[in-house]
Amino acid sequence: MPQLRKDPIIGRWVIISTERAKRPHDLVIKKISEQCAEKECLFCQGHEAETPDEIYAVRKSKTSANTSDWDVRVLPNINPLMQNSGDLGRRGMGIYDLMNAIGAHELIVETPKHIANIADLDIAQINQVFKVYVQRMQELEKDERIKYVLISKNYGIVAGASPIKHSRTQLIALPVNPKRVKEELAGARRYYEFRERCIFCDMIGHEIEKQARIVDRIDGFIAFAPYASRFPFEVWVLPEEHSADFFNLKNTEGLAKIMKSVMRKLSVSLQDPPYNYIIHTAPFRRMTSPGYWKTIDYDYHWHIEIMPRLTKVAGFELGSGFYINPTPPEIAAEFLNHPQGEKQ
Amino acid sequence: MQQLRRDPILGRWIIVQEEKQISPDDYIEQSVGAKQLGKFCPFCVGNEDKSPPDIFVDKTPDQDNNSLWNLRVIANKFPALRVEGDLDRQGIGIYDQMNGIGAHEVIIETSDHQKDIADLSNEEVSKIIFAYKQRFLDLKQDSRFQYILIFKNHGQSAGASLEHSHSQLIALPIVPKKMKEALRGAEKYYGFKERCVYCDIIDQELESGDRLICENKNFVAFCPFASCTPFEIWILPKKHVSHFYRISEDFICDFSAMLKDVLWRLKKILTDPPFNFIINTAPIQHEQELGFYHWHMQILPKLTRVAGFEWGTGFYINPSPPEQTAKLLREVV
Repeated sequence: MPQLRKDPIIGRWVIISTERAKRPHDLVIKKISEQCAEKECLFCQGHEAETPDEIYAVRKSKTSANTSDWDVRVLPNINPLMQNSGDLGRRGMGIYDLMNAIGAHELIVETPKHIANIADLDIAQINQVFKVYVQRMQELEKDERIKYVLISKNYGIVAGASPIKHSRTQLIALPVNPKRVKEELAGARRYYEFRERCIFCDMIGHEIEKQARIVDRIDGFIAFAPYASRFPFEVWVLPEEHSADFFNLKNTEGLAKIMKSVMRKLSVSLQDPPYNYIIHTAPFRRMTSPGYWKTIDYDYHWHIEIMPRLTKVAGFELGSGFYINPTPPEIAAEFLNHPQGEKQ
Repeated sequence: MQQLRRDPILGRWIIVQEEKQISPDDYIEQSVGAKQLGKFCPFCVGNEDKSPPDIFVDKTPDQDNNSLWNLRVIANKFPALRVEGDLDRQGIGIYDQMNGIGAHEVIIETSDHQKDIADLSNEEVSKIIFAYKQRFLDLKQDSRFQYILIFKNHGQSAGASLEHSHSQLIALPIVPKKMKEALRGAEKYYGFKERCVYCDIIDQELESGDRLICENKNFVAFCPFASCTPFEIWILPKKHVSHFYRISEDFICDFSAMLKDVLWRLKKILTDPPFNFIINTAPIQHEQELGFYHWHMQILPKLTRVAGFEWGTGFYINPSPPEQTAKLLREVV
């Protein structure tokens, strides 16, 4: 019997097919085969003069901006979705509402070498990348117009990346709190009002007790396949200690260790699948904004959602907001932990 | 300057890239392509025994008085949900669960493997819409179901696994979240203005004409102001009706003509793009007419890829302003 499982935070139902559960080898796996010649890649070391001027960079020694010898580089997006200058200009058009797209759109180049997958960087390098995420968020928090910063990664064309095989992250700063974020915040707040506990902390407690969906526990972080996973092999990574804001993260090294481990497991079990990951964090607290509430520090818990892109979203998902997941998360967790067993 | 446009019902924001001049050629690489010949198709005439039995069928007798089917509705061979059993709602620690009860049917729209809705006659399309209505009327009697979703996946990248033209029906034991949000948004607007938001949208679109594609006596088609994908199209009845299954014979006729026309325009201009369509309607357990909700069909061509940003925010990025796409669709000959 297929199961309907409810996402405890935003209340979305997911259909989990328990009978025809798909193992990794049943899933249509699109290998990341797009190739781009090394010399054409603008993100590689030595091409600094061909890119727009960098916004920020981690440099080994005191070399000047836009020269070689960097570890991580932040660039403005060439075709930005959101623009830096100007004001919002909120207005109406008959019954419709619109405003200007003010914000920021940056690209974080994670390595000077031509490496495609963050799973293949070493822990020290991944640590540098997460330090840059934190730095950029802290910096953008100072801009009064910005309410939310979304950090996301697209790996592989299916996941929305361009064909250039050089590991990088997208950062988009927004003048409004996005709907999807609001839903999650509202769900966490409702739970807190009822129980006076953080729902994410409760989930962590439940998962540790059950053990069935845990993928990793390393250095203060936990990774598990969520109970109502929308996608096969979806994995969430959370700090075990409660914290609402990603930009307050100190232990970037711990996060680098667990992310390296989880991304390796996905890469091995699913043979280099396309994926997205997204950092879910609390919005910037603007005391003046309507709808601001005081318990957000206690009720919300930042985390990273990793979504391998193995199934197609079709009319049913578009029409209902319901997802169909052919791989129960318990099976996904087991395969990620024992990829060898899969071959036998 | 890019614009942020707010969806008047769902309240989500769409980034519309205003300046960029679009060309349909930019999207042609997404084309579905020609249908394969000579490959086994379980939906073709002669292979009826390879698929589940008919739930509903439309037949016409030929000269020899053998009846040939034009359209069949069958159970999905690989259902996402099962018809038999009880919901059995339960909690597991902090989590909630219930059995996956529901109906999952396939509407085989034509016996002709080579044809899509855009190639059928108005009369043939009417038969599809009539079948949808019949299935609604039948399934709404089952009190376990709260919502019936009719949708179509055309082309592999839109999720279709078989190329023979078909649509699907799923009856659900709950009202899906997306529908609840639309109902809530529409009800809020009604509470404020005492008018249906969709009726207001229709008025504004007919008056401005900027995003209008075509209209007939009872229906109108346009590209919505906050389109979430390039070439998104809505078809609505001009007269306020909340439930799709109340569609009358006249309306079936006009709706079918418009659906065919719009899909033909899309096929022509984008060289057979992959798309999904969805019928959005009021939940079946609300027997009475809802003043604030208005059924409609939403057509979503699959031309862009959804990436981390869209997943994380629920924001959509639409590189084609609907004013431009509507103009292109209006002018197709």
